[in-house]
Amino acid sequence: MTEQRLPKSGPNWRRRGRAVGFAANTTVAWLVALVFSFPLIWTFFTALKPANEVFAAQISFIGSKVLWSNFVDAWTEVDFGRLLLNSLVVAAVSTVLTLVVATLTAFAFARLQFPGRSAIFLLFVITLTLPSEVAVVPLFLGFDQARLADTWVALILPGLFGAFGAFLLRQFMLQIPAELEEAARLDGASTWRILISVIVPLVRPALSVTAIFTFLGSWNSFLWPLIILNSSDKWTIPIGIAGFTTQTGTQWELLMAACVMTIAPVVIVVAVAQRQLVAAIGAGAFGGR
Amino acid sequence: MTFVDLDRAEEEVPDRSVAPPDRPRDRLRRRPLGGPRWVGWAFVLPGLIGLAVFIVLPQVASLILGFSDSTLLGGTQFTGTQNYVRLLHDTQFLNSVMVTAIFVLVYVPANIAISMAMAMWLKTRIAGRNWLRVIFLIPALSPMVANAAVFRLLFQKDGAVNQALAAIGLGPIPWLSDGNWALVTVIGVSLWQSFGYNMIVLGAGIDSISPDVIAASRIDGAGRFRRLVSITLPLVSPALFFTTVLTVIGAWQTFAQAYVITGGGPGNSTMTIMLYLYQTAFTNNELGYASAIATVLFVIIAIFTLFQMWGQRRWVHYD
Repeated sequence: MTEQRLPKSGPNWRRRGRAVGFAANTTVAWLVALVFSFPLIWTFFTALKPANEVFAAQISFIGSKVLWSNFVDAWTEVDFGRLLLNSLVVAAVSTVLTLVVATLTAFAFARLQFPGRSAIFLLFVITLTLPSEVAVVPLFLGFDQARLADTWVALILPGLFGAFGAFLLRQFMLQIPAELEEAARLDGASTWRILISVIVPLVRPALSVTAIFTFLGSWNSFLWPLIILNSSDKWTIPIGIAGFTTQTGTQWELLMAACVMTIAPVVIVVAVAQRQLVAAIGAGAFGGR
Repeated sequence: MTFVDLDRAEEEVPDRSVAPPDRPRDRLRRRPLGGPRWVGWAFVLPGLIGLAVFIVLPQVASLILGFSDSTLLGGTQFTGTQNYVRLLHDTQFLNSVMVTAIFVLVYVPANIAISMAMAMWLKTRIAGRNWLRVIFLIPALSPMVANAAVFRLLFQKDGAVNQALAAIGLGPIPWLSDGNWALVTVIGVSLWQSFGYNMIVLGAGIDSISPDVIAASRIDGAGRFRRLVSITLPLVSPALFFTTVLTVIGAWQTFAQAYVITGGGPGNSTMTIMLYLYQTAFTNNELGYASAIATVLFVIIAIFTLFQMWGQRRWVHYD
């Protein structure tokens, strides 16, 4: 921490100068953050306005009435309840399956010797730079041929195999001392047993971070659901919101209420898990988005 | 952090197939740690098959489909290079390449500059800077579609931004109804949404600089600017390279912002390549032609990525 570099004694003016600098720096930074957050703050207040005051002549946060009922209306008008349930189920299933696949892959790369390991690892590394969204057309055609278009199976499957989670877990698994594994093996534990009873408990922090990123990735995902899902009863939240915005005569206050309910869970998750998320992003574990 | 680090980590794995000769580990020598040699394959197979089927195969299939006139129900005929000849004369496509190139050339440098500046600023003494970091990160982890919907409201003709401008005697600016301004708006929302992520990656890069190096440069009398140019930037360069490569790849595939805020308009002024690809494939049902677009986009991204990998020797310092 840089605070510790503050001189305990020294010329009075210098200390005062530093204190003023600290206060000024803090004030400016929080002002920038306030301006930065304005769109989200505005969204929240718009969600509470009467419909005819969304574009009022005078800019104001609070309308003539505060309508919490807009949130209820969004639930019925946009069928937000259905969208929310769909998004939650899809994200939960994606997260569990991704964790299983990534754990197995990471374990093989980090702790097991097998012929061709380096070559396969290289393949995983190379796929990180593949522009995945470019290939949506054949992906769609493939699922259509398999009569799986417009199903959640097709929605979920392609997202399970991104290499980032496997890489993060592998980094953690590499740090586990080999002695633990050797001791378990001498006690007669099978490879499978070692993974479940020794390795997985030790990489639980990495597993939870991977889970959060996978969940958010699914929650935010737009292009693939837009392509593969046709019937509105299977839509996830982003598709519902996008469909809502492209209709003529947008009911902005309801749309903003839906946006608040979509972004709020993200805000809560990020606030609660900020330390772990920042560390994982800093490790470059999940690449750019 | 980088691919190089992954390679380095690879070397740290001790070779478990050879037991040290000074220890009596007959059982282990018969069955090396990690079980029989095929066990590793069993663990890696689900991920490998998934990767091959859902990530590698579509890329290859896309390349092949680009030489066909495939439609959803009309079957597939191979038409040679016909799609590519058509692309050369497709003004809408050429326009989308132009629009996306402008987007990339403005968005990527701005993103990296803002991310780096913010990362360095948040290393200075600020009360509650961890919470500031979270505030700037939130849009990057929120649904682009919701963010875009919010900006679509803000930048309406009589929306909050123009009202705020009017309050200080400016505007109104035709944010969404004028082509140039619409592109500015789309770039703006992309920056607002995304820089927080790169800010964290670069912040971690700054953290990894040894305080001794900074202290030594101070003793040698280096000023702020000198330290930035000669110490911070070179030592953060691996992280800068990593973020730039991935940001460029993402920027060429920009889709959701344009889809939600402008729908590609007005007059195709914000029609990105991905949006044109989407419309060609799923509105016009020209899957083969869309695959040809995908191939061109793939090649563009590959050229940019390889060019950066070649260029990194000149400015990226690994030590």
